[in-house]
Amino acid sequence: MRARWILGIAVSAALAVVSLLAQPQGDASKGKGQDKAKGGGGVGLYQRQPPTPKGPAPKLADGTPDLSGVWLGSGANDADISRALKPGDSVVMLPWAAALVKTRQSKDDPESNCMPAGIPRGSPYPWRIAQTPGLYFIVYEGNIHSWRQVFMDGRKQPEDPDPYWYGHSVGRWDGQTWVVDTVGFNDKFWFDYVGHPHTEKLHTTERYTRTDLGNMSIEVTIDDPGAYAKPFTTVGHARIMAGTELLEYICQEDNYDLQHISGPAQGPGGSTR
Amino acid sequence: MLAPDARLCQNFERGSYLMKVRWNVLAASAGLLVLGLPALAHHSGAAEFDSTKKIDLTGVVTKMEWVNPHAHFRMDVKDSTGKVTNWNLELASPSILERNGWQRHSIKEGDTVTVTGSRARDNSNLGIAQTIVFPDGRKLNFLSAYEDGK
Repeated sequence: MRARWILGIAVSAALAVVSLLAQPQGDASKGKGQDKAKGGGGVGLYQRQPPTPKGPAPKLADGTPDLSGVWLGSGANDADISRALKPGDSVVMLPWAAALVKTRQSKDDPESNCMPAGIPRGSPYPWRIAQTPGLYFIVYEGNIHSWRQVFMDGRKQPEDPDPYWYGHSVGRWDGQTWVVDTVGFNDKFWFDYVGHPHTEKLHTTERYTRTDLGNMSIEVTIDDPGAYAKPFTTVGHARIMAGTELLEYICQEDNYDLQHISGPAQGPGGSTR
Repeated sequence: MLAPDARLCQNFERGSYLMKVRWNVLAASAGLLVLGLPALAHHSGAAEFDSTKKIDLTGVVTKMEWVNPHAHFRMDVKDSTGKVTNWNLELASPSILERNGWQRHSIKEGDTVTVTGSRARDNSNLGIAQTIVFPDGRKLNFLSAYEDGK
């Protein structure tokens, strides 16, 4: 009996370690040992990271919030979008969407096929925001190595946009919050590993607020009357990775994994809908 | 920052396993094996590798491939009859490895190493190299060159 309890304690300790490695990347900026005094700690999948820089949120010369830096994290849970919702919100799929999720297979996930993640699916890889006059860019290391453009010149959304992976984005400032409105999506990407779908009616509103030098809050409202009974809002967080730059992630290079993947759409720990 | 209920939801899987530890050590061990598969960035590790199919291989590295979406290396493994099998052993992506202290030369052709991990679900000679140990005791893992994991 005593040996059984000792074994149980040992398993618990080991479990705590490996579960950190297996955590979903919805808030990839979270991790073990963050901000340790001795040169930082683990953040997401990254170890020995410098501490999150401290200080007030910076401004550009014209007073606009400065969103520059290498960020890690996202506005949603990429294992299952329903796990990171604004309090009181819920994900209510229309019957066809709920039925589809139950049949989806991991090998068909566009992300496994090295296709773009769409919005708001995050990844364990960092990204940047580049602000130029009238046009901002979001540059993603993965998944996949890609970019989005957000028009900041006051233009309106097109009335009948053609469908694309990242849609057509226009942005504006709401106080200290950068608001990105996107329409014109294709229906190909999944919101998460478990396979939440969407349609071309998808309309997203992202809200990025740099709360201080090292941190950003992100909220994303998903409005897709083609697949969901009501809009819902996801909440997430990103933090600055002070000790790195974006690196290369050309997923298409050698994706032999696909031929070995099987089973239902599932999160990193094997969770399904 | 996640809302408190969102955090609870994110931790649901881990929490459920911890409950099993309390009631049944064996069941918890099974959960440990599942969770032991890493998040592989562009797909679920559990969809590709079977944590119940453990591998423990010693052999000679024949090739290191510093490529995306996963770096991987090839290794010749000789069995008791002398038959040599070439294994493909998977790691995280180069950008994750680089940030965690790996370099493309961390494993070289001709190195003898012992690898433990899990085999692919389809029983091919593909595995995830969860630990890599050199004869001098140096250790690497699929994610990091930092032995202390910090």
